[in-house]
Amino acid sequence: MATYLITIASITLANKACDILKSNGYACAVEKTPKNYASGCGYSVRLKGNIEYAVSLLESAGITPGSIINTGNSE
Amino acid sequence: MINFDNAATTFPKPETVNAAVSEAMERYGGNPGRSGHRLSVDTAEAVYISRKKVASFFGAEPENVVFTLNCTEALNFAIKGIMNRYGGHIVISDYEHNSVVRPVFSLSKKGVNYSVAHIYPDDNMTVNSFNNAIRPDTRLIVCTAASNVTGQIPPIEKIAELCRRRNICFIVDAAQAAGVIPLKVGNGINFICAPGHKGLYGPSGTGLLISDGKYRLIPLIEGGTGSLSMVFEQPSFMPDSLESGTVNVVGIHALGKGIDFISSKGTENIRKHEEMLCDRFINGISHTEGIRIYRENGGNYAPIVSFNAEGFTPNELASLLSNDGIYLRGGLHCSGMAHTALGTAPNGTIRFAPSVFNNHNQVDELIYSLKKILKKP
Repeated sequence: MATYLITIASITLANKACDILKSNGYACAVEKTPKNYASGCGYSVRLKGNIEYAVSLLESAGITPGSIINTGNSE
Repeated sequence: MINFDNAATTFPKPETVNAAVSEAMERYGGNPGRSGHRLSVDTAEAVYISRKKVASFFGAEPENVVFTLNCTEALNFAIKGIMNRYGGHIVISDYEHNSVVRPVFSLSKKGVNYSVAHIYPDDNMTVNSFNNAIRPDTRLIVCTAASNVTGQIPPIEKIAELCRRRNICFIVDAAQAAGVIPLKVGNGINFICAPGHKGLYGPSGTGLLISDGKYRLIPLIEGGTGSLSMVFEQPSFMPDSLESGTVNVVGIHALGKGIDFISSKGTENIRKHEEMLCDRFINGISHTEGIRIYRENGGNYAPIVSFNAEGFTPNELASLLSNDGIYLRGGLHCSGMAHTALGTAPNGTIRFAPSVFNNHNQVDELIYSLKKILKKP
């Protein structure tokens, strides 16, 4: 299953995003955005699963994702 | 020791709040929202959990909860944040604490005008007083949800409706109301400012600014937020816009437990218990010669009773009660304007303010001590 990073500028919104995704059955975690994916500070939500639906869940909660990065498949 | 000075800060705190202070010191030692290591991320999650509890309690989104140092700081952020953006005219009530009066007065030195509405025991007269004070350039109304001097409750919902209809920003000072009177943002209430350390039973050094998301405040303090660090401009999104510097993790974590505590007890039950103690106190002293209680017929009151005793200044009486191990606050309660309106300036009143932890035996002990002091020649 593909693993994605959704970058979100604010730690509060990253935690809120993770909360929303977990309550919709996603496995996810908040982490600092890796340096190769961001300039400056920022956090990301790492998740596995349907990225389109995840993004739609966040957008309907008023959270605008930054970049969406496919970090490859995990076992 | 019997503490009836809970309107200043509640003491004791729930055991769960005390335990949370230790827990945070031992477990949440990272800087939230700054680093990527486990300690920082776990600490940020602990802060977020408290933020979510506050948001749910006050009907807000988590990102619209800003942790502050106290209610005064929250009020300064809100009042100046609105007026620095829009300018114009402010209406406040005559029962406001200095945490409202002083920022407004300070703004008046910079060209902002303000008017003062009177709070009557009759709700409709109070709303009319606010309505009459509104001008075409009125941008903001600030009103306490319960006077810290008398406990009187203005008709907040009706004032909110007036603000909504006239498109005026409304800030509610919930310093004495949070935890005993249900309050939510929305329906005309744009901001609620509250202390964490009074009726929410958190530690001192905690306060809350809660927004309904309609107005963006100009920040008073700028700095590190852990976000957009290559940009020199302060982030515009909440809560980062208003939360510069490392937050009070220990206080915030414990405040979350305070919210759990009052949620489990029920705000209405807490208020009923404290009102029962106020009624017992009033019934116990109201027929004593020389006692004056500052409550008016028809008024609606939070569980606070202000009174005076002939022959004693409020501070003298508070000092004599303190000698008996009973703590009440005498004086002006940082509310000179309210005491002027009440006719109790310049000495003020002595204030009885129970918490959920007080009981009727303690009230009886206070009544006994008070009567003993008043009998002395």
